[in-house]
Amino acid sequence: MPLSRSSFILRTLSLLLLGLIALAGVVVTNVWLVQRTQDYVTEVTELRRLRAAGVDLRSRLQDAETGQRGFLITDNPDYLQPYNDALANLAGYMNRLAKAAEAMPELHPRIEQLTGIINARLDELRETVDLAQQGQRQAAIEIVGTDRGKDLMDQARLILQEVVTAAEDRLGRLGRAQAESADALWWVSVIGGIIVVAITLAGLLTILSYLRQLAVARQEVEALNVSLEERVRERTAELGRANEEIQRFAYIVTHDLRAPLVNIMGFTAELEQGVTTLQTFVANAGERETGPEYEAARLAAQEDLPEALGFIRSSTRKMDGLINAILKLSREGRRVLKPEPINLSALLESAVAAVAHQVADAAGEVSVDVRVPNLVSDRLALEQIVGNLLDNAVKYRRRDVPLRIKVRATARPGGLVHITIEDNGRGIEARDHERVFELFRRSGQQDQPGEGIGLPHIRAIARNLGGDITLNSTFGQGSVFTLVLPAQLRATTRSMAA
Amino acid sequence: MSDNAKSVTIIMIEDDEGHARLIEKNIRRAGVNNQIVPFTNGTEALAFLFGPDGSGNVSSGRSLLILLDLNLPDMTGIEILEKVKANPHTRLTPVVVLTTTDDAREIQRCYDLGANVYITKPVNYDGFANAIRQLGLFFSVMQVPETT
Repeated sequence: MPLSRSSFILRTLSLLLLGLIALAGVVVTNVWLVQRTQDYVTEVTELRRLRAAGVDLRSRLQDAETGQRGFLITDNPDYLQPYNDALANLAGYMNRLAKAAEAMPELHPRIEQLTGIINARLDELRETVDLAQQGQRQAAIEIVGTDRGKDLMDQARLILQEVVTAAEDRLGRLGRAQAESADALWWVSVIGGIIVVAITLAGLLTILSYLRQLAVARQEVEALNVSLEERVRERTAELGRANEEIQRFAYIVTHDLRAPLVNIMGFTAELEQGVTTLQTFVANAGERETGPEYEAARLAAQEDLPEALGFIRSSTRKMDGLINAILKLSREGRRVLKPEPINLSALLESAVAAVAHQVADAAGEVSVDVRVPNLVSDRLALEQIVGNLLDNAVKYRRRDVPLRIKVRATARPGGLVHITIEDNGRGIEARDHERVFELFRRSGQQDQPGEGIGLPHIRAIARNLGGDITLNSTFGQGSVFTLVLPAQLRATTRSMAA
Repeated sequence: MSDNAKSVTIIMIEDDEGHARLIEKNIRRAGVNNQIVPFTNGTEALAFLFGPDGSGNVSSGRSLLILLDLNLPDMTGIEILEKVKANPHTRLTPVVVLTTTDDAREIQRCYDLGANVYITKPVNYDGFANAIRQLGLFFSVMQVPETT
């Protein structure tokens, strides 16, 4: 099952949250159950103390009774020992019971009742023992014979039994409750543990499947990358071949075009020589010949033929220019670039010096501002480009304002260098901004000689250098040509066409 | 014009008949009257220069001057130049390369192979005629060694 990144995050987060909730539930339940167990333990301790206090008190009462009876029967004071001990401690045992009974407030009235009974019982004991010690043993035995002491003792025993039974009942209940809560603790722990383990497993599975998916995706990306690189290489090679083919094609075509042109021009010259001969003949014959045939021949020799030859000549000259232009471009494409360190400042200064004379004639000035530390490029190509742009700036200046040319070089991010040549010349209309870079196209007023190959040529050179030339111009105000170049021309850039 | 120069035969290897005619005309105009033997392809020219056996023995004792175009239908002029300069009987024969190619590398290659003069056929006819005439003057003063 494909897992998107967001659903993966959502799923693992919710699993984590669930796990946390389960864990928190287990912990809270545990804490609560442990607390409860502690309460039980406290209560159990209290109840044990209550039971023990009840049993002890009963023993002490019996001790006191045993002592009294022994003494009355034997009249031997030795038997009074348990009676005295019990009497001395009874108050303390009473207190202990009363205190322990606070754990069971419902017993409170019975305890008070018990206190009264025990006090009465003690009074009876004390009375009989006192009588016996004063020698009135019979009277004391008679008091015992009234059964009052026995009644009191029975009542006290009953109440104490109640207290002990109540404590034991309560202990039994507590024991069961404690067992239950231990059970609950076990279950909560086990179920909570299972839930946590299950959630952890689910989370692990999710992460694993996501990781597997990632690995698969990465493999795919790597495979794609490899094939992409392969394709780029293939395309580059194809482009290189196509480029070479075009250049070879242009080269062959121009050469093959020149061969017939040589003939046309050569035989045109031969014709011209023939026409000259004819003209001389016609001029001389004018004295002897007249008539319409002679007139036609004279017209042909003196006007029609020279005119036709003139057109042939100018057309072939133009064609020669065009062929040369194509040849030049194709050669530029074939030229192997030689990257070398260039002092751009010096190069620009010398290019400016080359047009200094024309600039001075136009009462103009050129400023050069170079802010590029170093440059590795093809010197000849750079000189051609800058020279051509400066020539254009001079050539297409406005006659009514002094010529101002600003040459600037700045380093740009990405290892690029911008060389801008800004003039205040006639400018180029926006619709012609791309057209001027096309072969044999010119823009604006055609008052300057040119074939329309300069800009296409230097753009081809610039692109060969791995750069480009762009134009920004306002018609009637000036043009800014920007040459973009890599600061470090790599020899490999042009390996394909070399 | 010395007697020696008169005996020189000009071998013109040029496939374009128009060019051949223009070259001949201009050579004649320059006052060179040597025999001109034209060939329009490389195979025939090689057969003439090296004989049917290809040894070049036929050229021993001949005084030749070769006008060579580089673009030929069956081979390039470069191949002919190589063969001429490699054969002991023809290697001293002056070769004038006359072609439309003005590619610096190609010119250099021709000179490296032993071409004596390289002339680009200018489309400008005056230039062309001038070049051929100067070539004629060159023919008239040069001493073509007889090959052995």
